[in-house]
Amino acid sequence: MSRPSLTTLATLAAAAAATIVMAGCGRALPTAAELVGASAGAGSVNSLPPTTDAPTRDYTKPVVWATYREVQTLDPIQAFDYPEDTVDTALCDSLLRQNPDGTIGAGLAVATYPSPTKLVFDLRAGVHFWDGKPVTSADVVWSLKRAASTSDGSFYAQVLNRVKSIVATSPTQVTLTLSQPDYWLTGELSQMAGIVVEKAFGEKEGKKLGTPQGLTMCSGPYEVKSWTPGQGLTAVANPHYWDSTLIPRVHEIVFKGIGDDASLTSGLLTGAIGGTYPQQLSTLEQLKRAKNLSVTEGPSFAEDAMVICNLTGTLKDVRVRQALSMAIDRTAYISTIYHGYGQLPRAMENPGAWGYGKAVFQKNWNSLPVPTVNLTKARALIKAAGAEGKSITIGTTNQIQQLATAANLVRQAATEIGLNVTIDSVSAANFINFFTNAGARKGVDMFPTSNYPDYADPAGLYNTLAIPGGTQNYDNFNDPQITKDLEGARSTADPDLRASLVAKAGDRIMQLLPWIPLAAPDSLVITQRALTGQPASFVYMGGPWANMMGGR
Amino acid sequence: MTAIALRRRTARSSKAHGMMRFIGRRLVMLVVALIVSSFIIFISLDLAPGDPLSVLTGGRSLPPAALEALRHQYHLNDPVLTRYWEWITGVVLHGDLGTSIAFREPVSAVISQRIGVTAELVLYSALLIVVFGVGLGVLAGLRRGFIDNSIIAVSTLLAAIPSFVAAIVLLSIFAVKLGWLPALGNGSGFWGTIEHLTLPAIALAASAFAVVVRVTRVTVRSEMEREHVQTATSRGIPRRLVIRRHVLRNASIPITTVVGITITSLFALSAVVEQAFTLNGIGAALVQAAQSKDFAVVQGISLLLVAAFVIANALVDLLYAVLDPRVAIGSRAA
Repeated sequence: MSRPSLTTLATLAAAAAATIVMAGCGRALPTAAELVGASAGAGSVNSLPPTTDAPTRDYTKPVVWATYREVQTLDPIQAFDYPEDTVDTALCDSLLRQNPDGTIGAGLAVATYPSPTKLVFDLRAGVHFWDGKPVTSADVVWSLKRAASTSDGSFYAQVLNRVKSIVATSPTQVTLTLSQPDYWLTGELSQMAGIVVEKAFGEKEGKKLGTPQGLTMCSGPYEVKSWTPGQGLTAVANPHYWDSTLIPRVHEIVFKGIGDDASLTSGLLTGAIGGTYPQQLSTLEQLKRAKNLSVTEGPSFAEDAMVICNLTGTLKDVRVRQALSMAIDRTAYISTIYHGYGQLPRAMENPGAWGYGKAVFQKNWNSLPVPTVNLTKARALIKAAGAEGKSITIGTTNQIQQLATAANLVRQAATEIGLNVTIDSVSAANFINFFTNAGARKGVDMFPTSNYPDYADPAGLYNTLAIPGGTQNYDNFNDPQITKDLEGARSTADPDLRASLVAKAGDRIMQLLPWIPLAAPDSLVITQRALTGQPASFVYMGGPWANMMGGR
Repeated sequence: MTAIALRRRTARSSKAHGMMRFIGRRLVMLVVALIVSSFIIFISLDLAPGDPLSVLTGGRSLPPAALEALRHQYHLNDPVLTRYWEWITGVVLHGDLGTSIAFREPVSAVISQRIGVTAELVLYSALLIVVFGVGLGVLAGLRRGFIDNSIIAVSTLLAAIPSFVAAIVLLSIFAVKLGWLPALGNGSGFWGTIEHLTLPAIALAASAFAVVVRVTRVTVRSEMEREHVQTATSRGIPRRLVIRRHVLRNASIPITTVVGITITSLFALSAVVEQAFTLNGIGAALVQAAQSKDFAVVQGISLLLVAAFVIANALVDLLYAVLDPRVAIGSRAA
């Protein structure tokens, strides 16, 4: 066991009292120059390895894996947030599989497009559920139809809206007929929407499917042994897993919800917690120094941004949005919130989300300017727009440090360039309403977010915020050129061509700023040093990860 | 039958009668308290900003049709009074406390899985408070000088520490630094539970402890100065006997009052400690449910707390009668 320094106490106290994050950190944080330098070097943004050293042996002790709150459901069609995605990807298989580097390969099935409006899935030989029954096309059809149906409460009906019919064309083949070509579909079907649950089991459990009483029946590398809400969900290695290349080596994982940084930190330091994928952690520097832990950064899909939800007020003029973007001190944000583990966003995408067309995206990224603070230019833009002294309102919550920091930095920027700022701070629990409730957004011009696409494709985020009718397009942003390029990308089979259309739309999004990007954070994984093999990338939100882990 | 025997029996039966009336009155009070508080909690939760669906969707923006389907599934479109009526008839007629939206489980399951931990934690803390709080309070009351001063200084220090800070300090010293006790979880078996609950119980007891110490000390000291105590001492009755018969006996009523109230409040305070030590008790569940506007869970747990409060108070009142025969059952002790 490690013997952490005296700063332990100070850091823990600071974390719980939700005060400044850097208390007790002994190591200097990266300077602005270091950060900018890191993201300016060509190719460096993609240099983070998506995996850790391969395991050499089985790990027989149970591993407690922490998520920021306890998992609420195992039903993939209602999984979206970190805890559910992390657990579902450990337990279940999708039709296609997200790899740690963001690429998509065969999962339970192999996908082919016989024509642009037909997508065929051929199940792989020998695929079977935990109970030994084979995965059939009937199970696939049943699962996909649930995912596509709003009446079952699916969160994924919208992304499957080009699917006209789902038909079993043989016991091992399913054919999807599309109303229009849709090359984003394979991405979605590599994640929650593509998870296959046993039909007979699902029909028997009905509404109980995915609950602690009903549990679930998947085909993945771990199966549920028990789930006592409050105590955690225990998953054991599936000894008969169909994919012999990915047999799990950690015998038992207990998923537990650990809410605050102090508990998580002491759990990791004492070994009570085996590992976690933290979103952001105030005690990171302390954990990095602990001899019993390994902290690894990897590529992420996530993007922090200011959501603009009102294009009728002060922010209507694109010059005001551009001026604001130019005045925000993003380096301060990345050091404060991510301890430097993030990149300055040259586009509203995280380089970790380039799952295809990497060279195309990289080349485009390198050609874009690094966002730096330029107050002179920003003030000139405000003056040109005649916006001096106009007001904006920023929605936030002071209870979540990341969101409060973002709002304060933007307030500082806006004040510097001559805007009047009001902060509308709500409780942490109510912050979510800015996303889901139009009434809560009334009178608010912008609010901070940490957002991510379901799979490694910047378009997965762009289509939610920049296309009319997009699920996160709260300000009814509408630019025909961006819409045309994104729709074009959706219909383009060739990955590099598709990437160039997405990159083109991305460039224009950066100019018109329907949202204002803040940072492209890296993904982090923290485990006991005795464990290795866990992917360092964002794959825990969309593909198998737990079965790559084992003893060092 | 002699007159004396008859009088005795009448006295006994009137005492039993008083007991029945006391219990009956308390039961009525309990039911009224439960109904009134359930209604107030339901209405105020409805008025509070927020949407249960937000938690269900984890912030993912859904198209209106999908949201509508979910609303319908959880009856969120019904007027608040209709929903309250449905909830209360479910409770009264079927003993069904409803289903949690966030936990996706019946509320009875949510509570039964968590009540054990909270009860163990509160019991452990209560024992610490009674043994050390009352013990040290008596000691401080009887021994002026260094012992008294030290006890007061330490208890004042503890009173100033909120339980979430106490939790963090205890965690970092005894779990992280020394590694003597586990940092989180409930533990299993008797010793496992003791081991896991020791730090949380200390954190929970710490601030309440000071109140009990101080009240005990002051009460003991003022009893010491009472005339009958001084008379007893001057008559040459041994000090031990004076203290036991005259001081402690009389001091016991105010001490019982403050210990009773303190222990009842532990149920509510346990939420903070449960979260800090990742113990999944009802306190932590209540906080989570209130934040996510999970009506049924908030109702179920709050009613449990209200009931615990009413029952604990009734027990304290019963204790008065046991401790001091002059106090009639149900009447407030002086």
